[in-house]
This record gives sequence, C-alpha cells and structure tokens, in this order.
Amino acid sequence: MSRVSIRSARAAAAALAAGALVLTGCSSGGGGDDDSKDSKAKKQGQDVSYTFADAAASKGPAPEVKGARKGGTVKILQRDSFAHLDPGQIYVSDEGALSTLMHRRLTNYKKVGDNKYEVVGDLATDSGQKSNDGKTWTYKLKSGVKFEDGSEITSKDIRHTIERKFAPFMTEGPTFIEEWLTGKGPADARKELPDGPYEGKHLPKSMIETPDDQTIIFHFKQPQAEVPYALAMAGYGVVSEKKDTKQKYDKKPLSSGPYKVASFKSGKSMKLVRNPEWDQNTDPQRNQYPDAFDIQFGVSFEDSTKRLMSDAGENQYATSFTNQVDASSMQKVRTDADVKKRSVSGYQSYVSYLNINNDRIKNKKVRQAIAYAMPSQSIVSAFGGSGGAELAGNYISPTLVGKENTDPFGKLKKPQGDVEKAKELLEESGKKGMKLTFAYQNAPEWQNFSVAAADNLKKAGFNVQRKDIIADTYYDQIGKVKNNYDIYHNSWGADWPSASTVVPNLFEGRQIQDGSANYSHHNNPEMDKEMTRIRAITDPDKAAEEWQKLADKILKEDVPALPMHYYKAIQLHGSKVGGVYFDETLHDIQPTSLFVKK
Amino acid sequence: MTSPSQATKPGADTPGPEDGGLSSTRAAKNGNDLVGRSPGQLMWMRFKRDRVGVISACIVLAFFAMAALAPVISKLYGKDAYTRYGQQAPVGELLNDNSYPVKPNGGMSSEFWFGIEPGLGRDVFMQLVFGIRTSLSLAVAITILSVLTAIVIGVAGGYFGGRVDYFLGRLTDLMMSFPNQLFFVAFTPVIMALFVDPQDEMPTWMRACVLIYVMWLLGWMTLARLLRGQTLSLREREFIEAAKVAGTPPVRIIRKELLPNLVTPILVQSTYMLPNFVTAIAGLSFLGVGMPEPVPDWGRMFAKGAEVYQSDITYMFFPGGAMVIFILAFNLLGDSVRDAFDPKAGR
Repeated sequence: MSRVSIRSARAAAAALAAGALVLTGCSSGGGGDDDSKDSKAKKQGQDVSYTFADAAASKGPAPEVKGARKGGTVKILQRDSFAHLDPGQIYVSDEGALSTLMHRRLTNYKKVGDNKYEVVGDLATDSGQKSNDGKTWTYKLKSGVKFEDGSEITSKDIRHTIERKFAPFMTEGPTFIEEWLTGKGPADARKELPDGPYEGKHLPKSMIETPDDQTIIFHFKQPQAEVPYALAMAGYGVVSEKKDTKQKYDKKPLSSGPYKVASFKSGKSMKLVRNPEWDQNTDPQRNQYPDAFDIQFGVSFEDSTKRLMSDAGENQYATSFTNQVDASSMQKVRTDADVKKRSVSGYQSYVSYLNINNDRIKNKKVRQAIAYAMPSQSIVSAFGGSGGAELAGNYISPTLVGKENTDPFGKLKKPQGDVEKAKELLEESGKKGMKLTFAYQNAPEWQNFSVAAADNLKKAGFNVQRKDIIADTYYDQIGKVKNNYDIYHNSWGADWPSASTVVPNLFEGRQIQDGSANYSHHNNPEMDKEMTRIRAITDPDKAAEEWQKLADKILKEDVPALPMHYYKAIQLHGSKVGGVYFDETLHDIQPTSLFVKK
Repeated sequence: MTSPSQATKPGADTPGPEDGGLSSTRAAKNGNDLVGRSPGQLMWMRFKRDRVGVISACIVLAFFAMAALAPVISKLYGKDAYTRYGQQAPVGELLNDNSYPVKPNGGMSSEFWFGIEPGLGRDVFMQLVFGIRTSLSLAVAITILSVLTAIVIGVAGGYFGGRVDYFLGRLTDLMMSFPNQLFFVAFTPVIMALFVDPQDEMPTWMRACVLIYVMWLLGWMTLARLLRGQTLSLREREFIEAAKVAGTPPVRIIRKELLPNLVTPILVQSTYMLPNFVTAIAGLSFLGVGMPEPVPDWGRMFAKGAEVYQSDITYMFFPGGAMVIFILAFNLLGDSVRDAFDPKAGR
C-alpha cells in the first residue's frame, strides 16, 4: 500500500510561558507501565490467521452486532478529503475505509474472532474455485445483488470492472489482476487493451471468460495462490458497465454497498445515506445500522483526538475512519480510564525500514555496524510508545500470515542499539570515521529519532551528517536511484496479509528504478531466484513460511535495510457510538458495524 | 539632557550646570570637603540606592554566571545535556511506555532536579542551563555587533548631516522594513545551498553565524536612529562648536566630545535590546528554524513544552519560568539604569 501518510506536524500551540506559569504547579506522573499487560496480550497478534471461506461462510446476512439498533447519524471526523470515489482509483487507506460502505467486490474480509479473519465471497458465492494448476480461478455470483439504481450486478459488470482498469485515465489503483492476466509488468499490461473496454473491445477469452451472467473465469499466465486477497482490495470494487461515466465516475460512483453518497463537498463534508437496493441477506460482512454518516474533513489528528476525548455534545456521536490518536496525546489517552474505554487499537501493516544505500556502502561490515548501532527504541518512543509502535525484529509485519519472531540483529534484546558491537565491526572494516549522510523526513517523529540515531552512530565511530528533507518531497528525493544519501528511512505496508507484496517490492533487484520501493538498491540474483521460486508455491501457508525465511536470510546475509518498528494505532470513538472494533485488514476502525446507541 | 562632556574627567572643577550643582550640594550635606564626582560615579551612587535595580542586576548576573559556568555546573551536578538518560534506562524506570516520565512533576527527583524530557529522556536542568548558555551567547554577540553598528551609523549620520545623513537615514528605513524572523527563515536555506555540500549537514557554527548575522543586520536600526537624534542636538552645543573652532579633527570630536555624552542612551538601549534578542532567538527556535538538535536551546524547549503540555505541563514550567524571570529582571534593570543616569526623566 506504498507510503505511509505522514502524521502531520503538531499544531504549534501558542502556549505562552506566562500562561504555563499559572497553570503549572504539578502534573501527575506518567506512572509505571500499567499497560504492559495490554501490550503483552496484543503480541498475540502475531498468530493472525486467514482462511479462504467456502459458500456456507459467504452467505448473508452478517451476524447482528450485540446491542445494535437501527437509526441515528454517526459523525465521522477525517483529516483528508477523499480524492477518489471511483473504486478503480482507490489505493489509500482512508478511501479504502469509505469504500467498505459503498463498493462491493468479489471477495471481502470478515473478522470471525480475535486475530482470525476469513476471506469470504462478497459478490461471489465463495472465495473462489481454483483449478489444479492454480492458473484458473472461477467465481459464481450471488443472484439478486443490485446497484443503487436497481440494476442487477452480472458477470459483465465484473469483467468491465477489470477491463476499465486498462484505460489510460485509471492511474491510481492496484494493478495485480491486470499483471497476472497478461503476465506483464504494469506498463506493458495496459497495451493489451489500450482504451479499456470503451471502444467495444474486450480482453480475449484466454484471459477472462463470462460463460453466463453469474459466472466469471480468470485465466492467469502463472499459477496464483492469492487471488482472493487481491480481489478483496477496494481497487477491485464493482463498477456498472451500463452506468460507467469514465472520469466522471470518480465524482459520482454507483453504490453497491449499504450506503450511497447523498452529497459531497470536496474538502468540506460528505453525507452518506442508506442505499435501499442493498440487501443484507446477500452480504456476509456488512451491517446497515445508522441512517446516515456525516463526514467532516479537515480535522487534524490533534483536533479529532481532543474532540473525541472531550466526548461533549455532538462528539458523543462521532468517531473517525482513519484519524488516529497523535503521539503527544497518547499518554493521556492511555492513562485516562474514561477515554481508554472508548479507544480501540491494533496493528497497521506498515513497517519502518532504515535503508542503507547499497550502491554507496558496499562493505557489509559497515552495513552491519549501522544495523547494530541503531536505537530502535527511540523511534518507538517518537511514535508515542507501545500505543503507536512496536519494536521490529525482522522485515515481516505481525499482520502478515506466517510471521515469526526472529531477531537477527538483537533489536528486541537491545532496543537501544549495540554501540560496542557496531564500533568493533566498523574498526574491522577499516572505515572508522567515514562520512555517513543520514536523510530523514522533517516530521517530529523522525526528527526526534534522528537525534538518537546520530548520537549512537557517532559513538560507534561514524561521521554522521544529518539531512532533514521536507516531508512533501522526501520520497521523491530518496526514490532517485542516484541519490546522495547513505541511510534513509521508509515505511511500507503489505497490500494483503501475505509477504508476497513486501519482500519482492523491497528487495528484488529488477525493481530498482527511480521511485521504486527498493530504496536500499538491494540486488542479489541469488535472492531474486528464491523469490521467483516462492511465488510459484500454490499453498499460501507454505509460501508465507518461505517468505519469512527468505526475508531473514536477506536481512542476515545482505543487510540491505534494518527493520525498525511495526506501526500500531489507537483510535477513539464517542460514547454514543457502538460496534467499534479495529480491523487489521483495513488498519483502522471497521465502518460497517458502527451503530448509534440510545 | 545628559551632562556635558567635561564632567567625565574625574575631578574636573568646571562641571556642567546641572550635575555640578547637584554634586556639590550632596557633598556639602555629607559634611565632607567638596568632592567632584563624575556622572558615572553619581549614577553608581543612585543605582545602589535603587533596591529593585540591584536585585534585578543580581538576577541578571546570576543568569550570565550560570551560562558562563555551565560546564562547571554540569560537572558538579554529574549529568550532561546530551545523554538520553531516560531512553537508555529500561522502559518503565525513568520513562514509561509512552515515553513520559514515570515520576510525578515531570520526573523531578533528587537525581534529576528539574525532571526528564519526555521522548528523548534528557536531563531538563542541564538542557536549560546549556540552552541559556546558547541563547545568551548568541544574544550577547548580536547585541555587541548591533550596538557598534548603530553607533557608527547613528553618530556619523547625526554629526555629518547633509547627504551622508540622508543616505544613512534611508538605509536605516530600508533595513527596518524587513521582517526579521521571516527574513531569517528565508535566508537560511539560501546560505545552505551556497556554502554547504548537499551531502553534509549545515555545521552548527555556520547556523550560529547565520543567525547572528541576520539578527545583527536587522537589529541595529532603532538605536542608530536614537543616536542620530541625540547627536544632531549635541552637535549644535557650545562645547562642540568650541572644539571645532579649536581645530579639533571630526574623529576626535566624535570620540572625545560626542560619545561620552551618548553613553546613557547606549547603555539603556542595550539593556532593552539584549532581552529582545533572547526572545527573538527563542521565537525562531520555537518555529523550528533556530539552533538544530542536539544543541541545547532555550527556545526549542518551549516548542517541546507546547507539544507535551497535555500530559507533562511541568516541562514548560522551568524554561518558561526562567525566561519570564530573565526578561523581567533585565527590563527592570534597564529602567533602573536609565533612572540612575537621568533621575529627572520618568517616574
């Protein structure tokens, strides 16, 4: 899911010294780690499991939420306006959260227990039938599922949904299915159907077949094990073939989910109302409790946190899709019992990495020294402690299937970094005193971390040059293959709970190009060969295991980048909002189960 | 009006009308022989009688002593401003899981007198002492440079008059029209692009120099204008004319006749300027464009304080309190100095 949006810098509150003098006197202590139990319980998140569900589990309606009632309006506080409403253009998490209410897909995630998720059929009757060679996937559609205009969703609409993603104006969404169908990279895949379906052309039957209105068959060039995951992405939400308005669809899409857009003022507000054509008996995951959602944009993380903490007036009926508790309010949220019981938390799939530019630092000992010296605890602190982050031992996020708790560089045992060991390694390499340019985003978290990191690196014997880069252009700067920096951080999250969208993106040699996620420029043909081998494994659990092994091997043997922390988030809701839980597949509150309490 | 220049010579028995009269009556009251006193001595006598002034002076001196002796204090106290004590201890010992101090009142204890910085876990007392050192060194440097510039430009303009005065006056106006914080924010990246290798960090000394340079460049104008006005009026006085008639060269007139008469406004103004610079530097740091981490900085402590005030208001207390006390003391000192030099004005 590419870059993490930067938690915006805290508002420069003009807290005058004189004012502080009056207010000050005492502040209660932060107290000990009364949250330790909490965080230990959460560590079990590593046993997260996903199953591909059968037809029985894919039947509607969704189970009723305890205590839920129909009616009322939920107020949603969001920082950013939605840039896209066309499902094919959706790839960022806040639009993804919105799309759960509006756009149905072939498959969908459903939480069935703590850390247990099922991939169920949403429009389809099950999560997909795979041929023996893994190349052909067949989906049967449920009957009686309709768009908001009352027209029934057929396999032609599904085919259209895929085909329109080849059109030149579709620029933002995921491209996995297109790449798998054509067996080509994202740019070349488009050439198979340059105008999309709009000139009357369709993909050949050797790629997509629609034998009848209820059946759609995908023929992939290679065996694919993770099709149900890919089809559950918001980017593959269904689009009506007849009512497709191309670019205009982005402003006025046809809803297939429980809610539809009543009004949308970009940058200001949005109102969602019930979609009467949605039939809960066909939907295994979504509920439809509130009469409406009233979304307000432009509310910063600090503001939404303060408003939800106060729980006064209309804020009682408020929550947010993706606004989190900001790092500076974390202490208050986690120690105030009244606020704490109105919070939900969980892992996000993002992991932060400290990339070591492999083109500039070729000496492995130096890279190891850097890895040992890094104080990972400092970045966890900067993100607000265990509420916002967790120490990372390896490249794989706890939200992914097959995650193991390996720790090749001892980051969990020595969270402050092992400066002695780094010093030794650097001396052995004979590069003591070498200049090391450390680029970081000038957001408060990374600035704080850079102080600690530079301190440790200096002690280890590096001549550290810190370069802060404006947050807006940071990824463009470090994304250049010929950049002038030695070490720099990035964050990456998986598109679905499998490491297949992490390891190759970050460490495959052929990915190196301007703007690619292989920021460390790791290029080892032996590892690339391993990746090709693992991709062909059809058993997802087996593949997950192999990905974890390969990730550890890369980390241990090549040290192209150091994993620093796994992202976590705490979100708040008003006291009158019920049915709130943190969905780890969305990385935020699941909108479809919310209701308004009496 | 200030006293005429002749009076500055100790023991001169041709004093100006005002001060001379004053000193003789004083001396007579004390029952001693007639003692001639210089305005400097008189000022000192008056100043000593001003209790507020003396206390303020002591406080100001204490701040400067603290800044100058920061390394000694650090040694005696046993901590420094850079070590991340809180982070290096296991989580839960000094800083809790959310990286806020475990103990109440910002982690104040016999070991950490002013508490621990949330996040990085450095010692607040040391941060403050070294932060004051940074801010005061910068402010003193800027003040000295600004005062010197103001003297040269103000006196030259006032004394020479005519075209010189016109151009210097316009220059002063021009410089006054620059907003100095904005100018600094815009100016730093330019310097960086010009003088720093893109792979390198801007060295701390260079950042300090840029800061001093910009604040100096935009900080001398008020005093220069004031001095020009004073010089204009002094220039017409008899003793200057006498010196001119006697053929004294202009440089000597300025040095020996004019400057001693300008000491009062210069001293009074600089005691107002210095705290202003301290707050201006703190303002820049608050905006995040002052001295960079990890150099301890007074102003940046406010930025941090504003960030953490919800959960750790104590952190704002010490830098805030210190700043209020310092500025207040310095301004009161300025008032007292003015009163002592010129008892008729004010009050």
